[in-house]
Amino acid sequence: MRNDVQQLLNGLFLGSIYALFALGYTLVFGVLDVLNLAHSSVFTMGAVVSYSVVAIHGGPFWLAAVLGIAVSGGLGLVIEYASLRPLRRRAAPPITALVSTIGLALVLVSLIEQARGGALFGWLWRDGANSVRFPRGSVPEKTFRPFGLTLDVNKAAILVVTVVLVVALAWILRRSGAGRAMRAVAENPRAARYMGIDVDRVMAVTLVASSALAGLAGILYGLAISDISPYIGRDQLELRGLAVLVLGGMGSVVGSVVGGYLLAIAEVVALLTIGSNFRAAVAFGLLFVMLVVRPQGLFGAARPERS
Amino acid sequence: MVLRLRTVVVLAGLLLGTTACASGARSSGTGKTIQLGAVFSLTGAGGVYGPQQRNGVQLAVDTINANGGINGAKIAIDIVDDGSDKAQAAQQTQRLIQDLKAVAIIGPTLSNSAVAAHPIAANAKVPMLAVSNTGIGIVGSGCTYCAGWIFRDSLGESVAFPTNIKTYADAKHPKTGVVLFPNDDKFSADGAAIVKDAAPANGIQLVDAIEFTKAETDLAPYVTRAVQKKPDVLFITSLGGIAAKIMSEARKQGFSGQFLGGNGFNTPAVSKQAGADGKGAQSASAWYIGNDFPANASFVKAYQAKFAAEPDQFAAQAYAGVQIVADAATRAKLGLVDAVKDRQAIRDALEKTSLPTVLGSFQFTPDHDVRQTIWVIAMDGNGGFTLVNSVKPS
Repeated sequence: MRNDVQQLLNGLFLGSIYALFALGYTLVFGVLDVLNLAHSSVFTMGAVVSYSVVAIHGGPFWLAAVLGIAVSGGLGLVIEYASLRPLRRRAAPPITALVSTIGLALVLVSLIEQARGGALFGWLWRDGANSVRFPRGSVPEKTFRPFGLTLDVNKAAILVVTVVLVVALAWILRRSGAGRAMRAVAENPRAARYMGIDVDRVMAVTLVASSALAGLAGILYGLAISDISPYIGRDQLELRGLAVLVLGGMGSVVGSVVGGYLLAIAEVVALLTIGSNFRAAVAFGLLFVMLVVRPQGLFGAARPERS
Repeated sequence: MVLRLRTVVVLAGLLLGTTACASGARSSGTGKTIQLGAVFSLTGAGGVYGPQQRNGVQLAVDTINANGGINGAKIAIDIVDDGSDKAQAAQQTQRLIQDLKAVAIIGPTLSNSAVAAHPIAANAKVPMLAVSNTGIGIVGSGCTYCAGWIFRDSLGESVAFPTNIKTYADAKHPKTGVVLFPNDDKFSADGAAIVKDAAPANGIQLVDAIEFTKAETDLAPYVTRAVQKKPDVLFITSLGGIAAKIMSEARKQGFSGQFLGGNGFNTPAVSKQAGADGKGAQSASAWYIGNDFPANASFVKAYQAKFAAEPDQFAAQAYAGVQIVADAATRAKLGLVDAVKDRQAIRDALEKTSLPTVLGSFQFTPDHDVRQTIWVIAMDGNGGFTLVNSVKPS
């Protein structure tokens, strides 16, 4: 019984990572109607920048976290200005935006991967393709054992941050002027423009917010999983993030959170009941069923093609 | 006096002639190059090992060329990246054979890629030396495509892992174990198969075998399942960072037993990532940095000077790979005109290899596998290793 509870806890922590990662995805998809596949590389960059500040430059963790989130947010602007806006101006088909963000992701990952000590980006990364962790003592590391269970404080932090962010994001989208502008653009960009909303600005802000979220997710992942490498976004989370997006409903903030937890719990239940080698099959089988039965996802509204 | 002078002149002439002939024989390759190739994973998952291999190969080539090359000929080596991708490894091998006319090739980094690249070399009758492939069937009777052209200087998991398990079992007498491994990687799956045989053979009951994939986000659920079985030993057969992640998670979850692993443990990057959680994690290695025999001591010193970093097992095996090929090329007396003949001559000479290397005294078995001393090492908790035991080849 205790082991089942521990596995449930594992599932909740894992679900928080999925949800936090998918939040940024869904925000961009909801407002820009674009699948931003550079999201995973921004996630990686958040972790790498914060690691760099702590491990290479000896900075305190709080500063590393702030810089990691700031750089990631800044990369949102790079995605908007270098990858998406030029295509939007030329009314290019949506698939080109998808490919463009894949290209940007490859550039960012290569930039980290090829960085070496003494080279141009040696201040950012010196470990090639290796996985590293934050140096011992530089970050909070504590494990509690209530009732014989293992409760890692960093994983608990991801859970708390996810819940707080979802509530905050939901509030911003519902109540604030910026949130209303985002929703207006998401509904119909042309109508929003006629209403006097600066659509390009709203899209840029959305990408900055989404990328900052990705950076935060990357930092928390690096902390909790002790794994920072050029590939954490691409290999560990990208595919599952997309699965969560579809499961919860593309563009739905609440959906991405529920989808994240659902996918993680399904994986853990599969591990407990059928066996570890069927875990992914069960999780993605669930995705398949959702696509067949309810293509718009759990919380997504079936909507007509946007003009 | 005249006779004596004439004799001296004649003798001097003979001596000069002999010297000229001898130096002519020694320098038959002067001005020529011996083209070699190397396929490594410089990027992608194998990028944990590939850059060190590139350094090891480059250092060996530079050292040999600085000392006059091979019978006067310089070595030229093209080091190419396979991106840790099987298909790319095969393509790059093909390119080295066809475009560059390489007479011998080293690599690729990953066993997973070797099964695609090695058949290309074997079909083209080009000797290919695996310097980091430790999986099953890379050479020997299990290899269906080798046809006598594939060699290996990397200690196979099928020898290293049982040696490690036996060393630990003889010392500590553990009763139970659990093996954790990603099932979508040949190296890891082969390692698990070896553990399933070697653990019971050494009196360790394997109570669970837990499979997952390389791209798992969080390994905690798998570790929970392993820890709940209360094993004495956790066997981890995986590449790079996965092993370190499992160690950290297992310690968090209160596991206080022993970690035993394979070649995936044997790099300072993994030891560093595991940190204090990995202290004592034991593996069998082809190489140990602390060995002070001359071949190794000079390699370690030169590597540190050139790259401002410590070499690892992968750099050492790659360095040894060039030493072995260069030794074979020296004995093969290459014509350096016909690549087909030179490839055959190097292959034949490789089979008779016997030389001191950075790995220790080195020979090939009749199956073209490595025959060397095995160094059982343990992580020191600070990114390094300590020597537990050395096991001579039987």
